Amino acid sequence: MLVRPFAALTAATICASCSQWDQPVNIPFIATWQGEPIDCSSEKSALTDLRFYVSNVQLVDAEGQGHDVRFATEMTWQNDAVAYIDLEDGTGSCQNGTADTYDHVLGVAGVREYHGLRFTVGVPFKLNHTNPLTAKPPLDDPDMHWHWRSGYKFLRAGVRTDDDGFWIHTGSAGCQGTVGNITGCTFPNRIEVVLPDFVVGEDAVSIDLTELLTGVDLDDATRSDCSSGPPEESCLAPFAALGIDFTTGEQNGAQRVFSVQ
Amino acid sequence: MKRTFTLIAAVVAAALVFVWFARDPAWDWSLPGEVPAPQVPADNPMSSAKVELGRWLFYDIRLSGNETMSCASCHIQALAFTDGVSRSIGSTGVAHPRSSMSLVNVAYASRLTWANPLLDRLEDQALTPLLGDRPIEMGLRNGVQRFGELLRSEPNYSELVRQAFPGDADPHSMLNGVRSIAAFVRTINSFNAPYDRYMRGDAQAMSESAERGMDLFFSERLECFHCHGGFNFTDSTTHAGNDVDRVGYHNTGLYNLNGVGAYPADNTGLFDMTGEPRDMGRFKAPSLRNIAVTAPYMHDGSVATLEDVIANYERGGRRIEDGEQAGDGRLSPYKSEFISGFELSAGERADLLAFLESLTDDSVLTDPRFSNPFVR
Repeated sequence: MLVRPFAALTAATICASCSQWDQPVNIPFIATWQGEPIDCSSEKSALTDLRFYVSNVQLVDAEGQGHDVRFATEMTWQNDAVAYIDLEDGTGSCQNGTADTYDHVLGVAGVREYHGLRFTVGVPFKLNHTNPLTAKPPLDDPDMHWHWRSGYKFLRAGVRTDDDGFWIHTGSAGCQGTVGNITGCTFPNRIEVVLPDFVVGEDAVSIDLTELLTGVDLDDATRSDCSSGPPEESCLAPFAALGIDFTTGEQNGAQRVFSVQ
Repeated sequence: MKRTFTLIAAVVAAALVFVWFARDPAWDWSLPGEVPAPQVPADNPMSSAKVELGRWLFYDIRLSGNETMSCASCHIQALAFTDGVSRSIGSTGVAHPRSSMSLVNVAYASRLTWANPLLDRLEDQALTPLLGDRPIEMGLRNGVQRFGELLRSEPNYSELVRQAFPGDADPHSMLNGVRSIAAFVRTINSFNAPYDRYMRGDAQAMSESAERGMDLFFSERLECFHCHGGFNFTDSTTHAGNDVDRVGYHNTGLYNLNGVGAYPADNTGLFDMTGEPRDMGRFKAPSLRNIAVTAPYMHDGSVATLEDVIANYERGGRRIEDGEQAGDGRLSPYKSEFISGFELSAGERADLLAFLESLTDDSVLTDPRFSNPFVR
């Protein structure tokens, strides 16, 4: 007699806090270069790669409170924790790419008014050190795995201008333990994105590669790259643009690459 | 009736005995009595079908993106499964920063490759040369699909993979392919060098010069054995009866760029993995077995001969006079305490070389079990 009303009350509370998951969420992603869309076959400057994992997606209410977006899981590019975005189509300059593209995150959220979006570019630690040969999609793509560092490449991005170019791979580095038994990583290198004015259903997330490559000379006739390794000076500027302190792998400021479009 | 029952019982018993032996997990390593068996991951037990499949795959050029190279391209049996060049060249022509390591006795390596503290299983290591893109080694694009298709479409492989993984509903997988390659590579063992025969009581197996060289090698004066000790001549050794995690990384004073101990940016060793300044230039001490046939030497193949290697250790570090890599490794702040330098007479130097040459096991360099099955 005492238990039953309490249980009903608890159920009501849960229902109120999570409300119904009735609000469809579709977050499109687009790539830009100097204010214009860029793809693998763009003239002069073109993409050479742009693929990344998104996790911890939240919509933000008027009080600044974040509310989880549940990923749809009936498609192979998303599971309940990670969504895979692939903005290259394997044509033109994207020689290492794939024909398939996945340019939006699909899910549901509770019904309420939202004023912003936040998410992480990266794979959560507890999923990051699985074997890509046995992992479930979208973590089963060896192109997105760093076999020698253990863990996934959170972001692969690259731009070519004429014969010059730059690419970056980010992911956790300086990990301890052994493959299959990783206990931690000194440099997490996850990118935290906060977009206060994002209107779900109207806006897209723009990845501005001009910002990512600020400080990279695309006219020095040297194809350079950053693989998130500790000795790589070529990583300093791109990591700063991504809001990560390259010496610690931790977020130390706002990223400038992802914006509301 | 009774006779029929007896017959059935006998058939069942015979079948049970057959199944028992067929599934016997004890693999015959054919090792000399004093050598312990290597560790084998619990999820990849040895079997003859698996080793046979792994041998074919090891030599199969269809496992590279442009079908030009196999594992064996950089791991040539006659060279103790190294490739004889300073930096290995990948399938698309890109030079690897590092020199190919010998696979002989790699089953006993507590860690794999020159400086990766995370890699302790061949099954995991194989993914980097097959799929890695910085640098491209075998460059097997869409590797999971292509590896699976190869195992399905090649009748010999399809049959072997079903034998090797009998409980697997879908055995034609890249996972089982790399397991098979790992099982084959674990069988490439060498314990029949003149040194081994000498230690087993054949006093004639080594020359007197090599005997004197052995004394030098194991002396505190030269300190070689601190990093190159044990039955596999490396301090990064483990085996089935061992539960202590032993791995050693050492800066041998090979470089000292700008006088601050730096190594060339594409080859900083353990530092590249950990970001710890003290790890600059630290690399795993490789096994010295068959070392006389694995020139050129060191992680980047930058030392041409064993004589030059010994000269660097005599000096307590290498001095590079000029150019981008100029610097005196002897003065590196990161150098191992065991690289303190020593002096050898010409005779002693010859003796030390004779000992190192006594570690060459001709049988592993020619054993048909490890040879290319595509060549008949």
